[in-house]
Amino acid sequence: MKLKIFAVFLLFHNVAFSQNISIIKFETLQQRITSNPDTVYVVNFFASWCAPCIKEIPEFLKYADENKNKKVRVIFVSLDFKKNMSESLLPMVQNLNINQTVYLLDEPDANEWIDKIDNTWSGVIPATLILHKASDNRRFTTESLSYSLLKKFAN
Amino acid sequence: MDGSYVSLSDYPDAKGFIIIFTCNHCPFAKLYPARLNELNLKYKKMGIPLLAISSTDTIAYEEDTYIKMVEKSNNESFNFPYLYDSQQLVAKNFNAQKTPHAYVIWKEKGIWKIKYKGAIDDNGAEPEKVENNYISRALDQLLNEKEVEIKETKSIGCQIHFRK
Repeated sequence: MKLKIFAVFLLFHNVAFSQNISIIKFETLQQRITSNPDTVYVVNFFASWCAPCIKEIPEFLKYADENKNKKVRVIFVSLDFKKNMSESLLPMVQNLNINQTVYLLDEPDANEWIDKIDNTWSGVIPATLILHKASDNRRFTTESLSYSLLKKFAN
Repeated sequence: MDGSYVSLSDYPDAKGFIIIFTCNHCPFAKLYPARLNELNLKYKKMGIPLLAISSTDTIAYEEDTYIKMVEKSNNESFNFPYLYDSQQLVAKNFNAQKTPHAYVIWKEKGIWKIKYKGAIDDNGAEPEKVENNYISRALDQLLNEKEVEIKETKSIGCQIHFRK
């Protein structure tokens, strides 16, 4: 009996864990955010320790929800340390009810990839990249975005 | 930290400085105190002292008040001055945008020039896996009268929120 309870617990644990967050390398991220040229990708770089990031996430969720029938994808890219994933990032994702894709970017040396996102970026977060390959549209900002600003920025 | 004001001219013999914009609250900055002590220990005696500066808006981050800076400096046994940029003017002059944000400045014909800016090294979370010590490398090149090879790097950090 004890064993059974344990097994059930493990199962749930895995479901919760794999629900949203996958650990990826930069190259994979780049592929994912360019995979469909018709789609508008809204890519938000954040971390669970970044207060201004947490503040703006609900605005992105609202935007995602509003555009769920359009070719719009909101992707959250966490810059948390990998070792803090289960203690900091996961609870935050659950508390904010992030129902969109969350990646944890596993690249310790940001100098290797920051310029590939935008060469004006110093590395501060939050940062947001909006990509639409079909119209060759690419925008980047480190401003904190409200829902209305985001809407303006993405359209 | 003893409450005194510090100016570059207080160090007439300095060849250069390591200037680190840092703060108490930022998890990335929290990874570096031991490494900053090591840098200062090594380079101060070669005429390149390290100055750490907090330019954080203390209204936004209570953890970064002067009193808390003194506490941190004592708790972590900083062997370098930890300076409070209360008007955020130093950060603006350097165009420092985040913590940690490192600079190497060097005196050339009596004028201070920025020779390197960016990350301290290439691995914040795991010091044992660092492959590029950007600051040390820049300093060693300067000490050997060579051109700094890597003049700028990027790294993740907490934004220095400038009061309007």
